Amino acid sequence: MLNESFIAAVTSLGTLALLLGVIIYFVSKKFYVAEDPMVSIINGILPGVNCGACAYPSCNQFAEELVRTKDTSMTCPVGGSELAAKLGDALGIEMAEPKPVVCAVLCQGTHDIARPSAEYVGIQDCWAATQAYAGPKQCRHSCIGLGSCIAWCDFNAMRIEDGLIVIDEELCTGCAACIPACPTGVLVMQEKKAERIFVACNSHDRGADTKRACDAGCIACQKCVKVCPENAIVIENFVAKIDQEKCTSCGKCIEVCPTKVNCIVRHNDTLKTKQAS
Amino acid sequence: MKTFTVGGIHPPEYKLTASKAIETMPLPAEVAISMSQHLGKPAKPLVKVGDEVKKGQLIGQADGFISANVHASTSGKVKAVKNAPHPGGNYSMTVVITTDGRDEWIEGCNTPAEDWKALSKEEILRRIKEAGIVGMGGAGFPTSVKLSPPKDKTIDTIILNGAECEPFLTADHRLMLESAGGIVEGLAIIASLFEGKAKSYIGIESNKPDAVSALEAASKGRGIEIVTLETKYPQGAEKQLINAITGRTIEEGQLPFDKGCLVQNVGTALAVYEAVTMQKPLVDRIVTVSGMEVKTAKNIRAIIGTRFSDIALFAGSMTEKTNQVITGGPMMGRSQFTLEVPVTKTTSGILFINNTLLASSRERTCIRCGKCISGCPQGLEPWLLATEAEFRRLEDAETYGLANCTECGSCSYQCPSGRELVHWIKYAKALLNNRRQRKTA
Amino acid sequence: MEPLKLKVSYAPFVRSKDSIESVMYNVALALLPATVLSVYYFGIPALLVTLTAIASSIAFEWMTDRIRKKPDSCFDGSAVVTGLLLALNVPSGLPLWMVVIGSFVAIVVTKHLFGGLGFNIFNPALVARVFLLISFPVAMTSWPVPLSVDMQTAASPLGILKTDGIAALQGFSYMDALLGRTGGSLGETSAAALLLGAAWLFYKRYITLTIPLTFIGSTLALVGIAWAIDPANYADPIFHLLTGGLILGAFFMATDMVTSPLSLRGQILFGVGGGLLTAVIRLWGGYPEGVSFAILIMNSLVPLLDSWDLNDIKAKKQQSPKTA
Repeated sequence: MLNESFIAAVTSLGTLALLLGVIIYFVSKKFYVAEDPMVSIINGILPGVNCGACAYPSCNQFAEELVRTKDTSMTCPVGGSELAAKLGDALGIEMAEPKPVVCAVLCQGTHDIARPSAEYVGIQDCWAATQAYAGPKQCRHSCIGLGSCIAWCDFNAMRIEDGLIVIDEELCTGCAACIPACPTGVLVMQEKKAERIFVACNSHDRGADTKRACDAGCIACQKCVKVCPENAIVIENFVAKIDQEKCTSCGKCIEVCPTKVNCIVRHNDTLKTKQAS
Repeated sequence: MKTFTVGGIHPPEYKLTASKAIETMPLPAEVAISMSQHLGKPAKPLVKVGDEVKKGQLIGQADGFISANVHASTSGKVKAVKNAPHPGGNYSMTVVITTDGRDEWIEGCNTPAEDWKALSKEEILRRIKEAGIVGMGGAGFPTSVKLSPPKDKTIDTIILNGAECEPFLTADHRLMLESAGGIVEGLAIIASLFEGKAKSYIGIESNKPDAVSALEAASKGRGIEIVTLETKYPQGAEKQLINAITGRTIEEGQLPFDKGCLVQNVGTALAVYEAVTMQKPLVDRIVTVSGMEVKTAKNIRAIIGTRFSDIALFAGSMTEKTNQVITGGPMMGRSQFTLEVPVTKTTSGILFINNTLLASSRERTCIRCGKCISGCPQGLEPWLLATEAEFRRLEDAETYGLANCTECGSCSYQCPSGRELVHWIKYAKALLNNRRQRKTA
Repeated sequence: MEPLKLKVSYAPFVRSKDSIESVMYNVALALLPATVLSVYYFGIPALLVTLTAIASSIAFEWMTDRIRKKPDSCFDGSAVVTGLLLALNVPSGLPLWMVVIGSFVAIVVTKHLFGGLGFNIFNPALVARVFLLISFPVAMTSWPVPLSVDMQTAASPLGILKTDGIAALQGFSYMDALLGRTGGSLGETSAAALLLGAAWLFYKRYITLTIPLTFIGSTLALVGIAWAIDPANYADPIFHLLTGGLILGAFFMATDMVTSPLSLRGQILFGVGGGLLTAVIRLWGGYPEGVSFAILIMNSLVPLLDSWDLNDIKAKKQQSPKTA
């Protein structure tokens, strides 16, 4: 009795398994898609995070496109020049040198620098807050400080400190996924240099309004424009902008900047002080 | 009694000021007149610092098709033209005028009433446009645009909205009691633009029987039907009002004129009457100043640009417990971050309240009670839209009718888990909008 | 002139007074008459079972909140309701350690493993009851006789009907069933007390009558048909209404917000399906009572019933005219 049911079960399930196995075999033969083995090699070299910084939705699509076109100008911002060299070796071509970029925050509005507006109570998300009003700081161009961008960063390079977004430049790969996530537009991509000087302010309000709202706001005073030996600084829409191509990081602009907390920052310095504190 | 068919809720009414006659607010020392008094593109400022202006003088020129003129609301000197806080929650270009106390009208404005029946249709529309009239119920859609529907649409129903379903607000209620004649005339003017082919209605919620009888008396023999509507929120929302009175449903993506309807607020009708017969631009409006924390709640006639801080003083200030100041009603209004903001053409009320629900993380998980669904007047599933928004599945939210939400707030009102349903929906709309703008840019 | 600290939040600024707590504690309140009556009938053991079930439910809730690192939910009332419903679903003589196991199954397995309040697919108390019924069939079907001095046990009316047939029910009185003077679990006994609680919930608008009426209606319809055809072998509908867990299940378990459909149409189908399944199990199934199985089976269909409405919204959107 027991044996019989064993045999019945084993034979019926075994037959079923055999049948399905045969079907799978034929289906995989019939619908086989030929893939260039090179694609999987390139795929192995790529970071595999599918961040989209290269303008392709996934690393795999980047690999397919690269193998198909052998376009030397295609770059992976995440991997940088090291990865470009590896890709070049694998494909036997000379890949273009990618310019490494990094995310910069055009705002220094921490709690003690930017004056607060009314307190926000509600969904903890920058976009949600901007649906209710201009934001928890008096400056309407500032970092809202609720960190909507953090969810978009695949590399864990962002965090909120004292009401302000902070970028970990070691981890930031310059994929730019965070840029559209900011409702006030304080995030920009800048070329990664050993030292860079930029105006960390996004306020397009007039000087007096900016000054009232923030100690580190650019008041468009023109002092830095005049002092710059390279003529690299222009005032655009009430905020100074430094042309990174021309800037030699001499720092003269920082010396003349009259705002209480310099709106112009030398990047490595702030990084060091942030780490020290 | 008529009402809309789907959803609806019954919030407490709090009509504290229903029996208080409209008081005219004394001239403030300074007015801040925003160039964004309406839906659409802000007007272009025409004055500069130091200019002397008269009451009724055009200071902001309508810019583009959907925009509206802005006029000086009193005489005085322009102090500044700058970005200033706007009751919409952000900043807008604003003309600040130091008043001279004379309140002098510019010539050609506020003339003795003439007979509008002698005017051509074009002249009536021109006067409405010149006067910068916008929908005074809250959205602020330019009235002249609304009164000129596309040629291929026939309007067979004109509805005046006197429902005033938001708690606290009584501005329209008082206006219907005190200016019933003007409102009826305004409606007649609007109807005349459609050659009398359209049937006119005035919809009023049943909690205002005095307004119903006032308008019935004023409209006797004018072919206007006064419809008493059930007191249910959001009875005064455009789509729900149309549904309640005509039985028609405005589908997603449709505008009222697609179903032959035109809805105007009662305040707008009065403004139309004054603009057409007296050439009076829209420079003041009735504002309900109310809420539990204001010392003397009242209905006031305030000129456009009066700051909330001045109004608070006029109402005897507010208690220390006040933690929110709201423009509009408590269901769809906006809470203010400063009292610097001025009255605009759409400010129907200013509420001083002590919102005890303000704790940072009140939101809890949905317990699927279904109250948001039963309350939704648009037949949506708000809990789902909010969840999709929370996880940023915006396309999914769209397939479930995100765009069909009118943001009436019934769902958030009902939710026992304190979920910010309508805020999540608004959030999803904002993200989608941003994404679209990026694509086209 | 701005001494005020203004706070900004999003509309609406008035909210209804309902909260999870008010919903849950009102359900608990509504169950109170039945609980008190059961303690009166079954004495101290019933009180012990009830208190154990509630206390252990709250304790398990507290523990899982700690493990899941969630904000405290042990006093939001849902654990109290689950514990109370569990107590009302077991015999008063059930060993207390079994009650604790039931609470564990309800709170930890059925609720929190599925994501906590709002995400559970099945009614926690019912899963616990069914778990106990299958695991400890003898203890779970030893119904103490109400008001008996020496804790003697007897079969429930439905049990007698299932095993001995309709002839064994000669001395059965409808009034006894209405007031709870029959054998059964704590909450199954008094239909009147349960209806009193249900009326309170309906008055406070925490339940609608859609599910209870369709549920009971369809059960009675099916058993009524069977009775009309063959009254010699099948009991009459009033007997089925007043005995077993039909009223408790239809008013308090099937209407559980989390595990019932959202729309009216879904609720009607849910109620009818549950009612028919109950009748089928009672008439022809292996167990004397089918309410819990019926509700659990219908619970599993709820996502399907809900997606029906969503598809309708989608379809309506596709048909709607697109104007610029």
